[in-house]
Amino acid sequence: MIKQRSRPITRSKWFMPLFSLGMGGVVLAALWLGGNPGAGLVSLGLMAAFGLFILLAGRSETIRGLRGDGRDERFAQMDLQATAMAGLAVIVALIVAWLVAIARGESGDPYDWLLATAGLAYIGAVAFFRWRG
Amino acid sequence: MKNKVRALRTGRDLAQGQLADAMGVSRQTINSIENERYTPSLPLAIALARYFGVTVEEMFDDQAT
Repeated sequence: MIKQRSRPITRSKWFMPLFSLGMGGVVLAALWLGGNPGAGLVSLGLMAAFGLFILLAGRSETIRGLRGDGRDERFAQMDLQATAMAGLAVIVALIVAWLVAIARGESGDPYDWLLATAGLAYIGAVAFFRWRG
Repeated sequence: MKNKVRALRTGRDLAQGQLADAMGVSRQTINSIENERYTPSLPLAIALARYFGVTVEEMFDDQAT
């Protein structure tokens, strides 16, 4: 049997529901500060409903993996690949939006600095992981 | 990767879920290994080999096509 380290909090079935609820609270606070508490309460309600759904949604591997309690090394690999695909989709969308903006004679803001952030983050990550070995 | 996990597991009359519990992974991960859709990490491969009392080379065959 594989020696188990102390179980990370991300492998608890409560991780994603509580994370959703927490994010809902943060969005509520931000919208409240922005003078729109109604939208904040709606956001909190949506995030809480998502958290409740994923908590009670059953035992399929996808749900358990998203929730946290079904994560193992194979799911970690899928999570990495899915994160990379999501990042790639965002970068492609940003490039298209940036090209459309500059073709219209606009400044390209905020797509330009978001793309620069993505590029720098990628280069930094490659350098870090190469250094770490 | 071609492997003998299914043969060794059924030889001991174990369900996929029982082996999964012993290895600390999901039943679907054991199923994916048996069906050669997922190549386990080195620690999991070693744990599986130890569990069945064979070597990693006996359990996994990277030469087979």
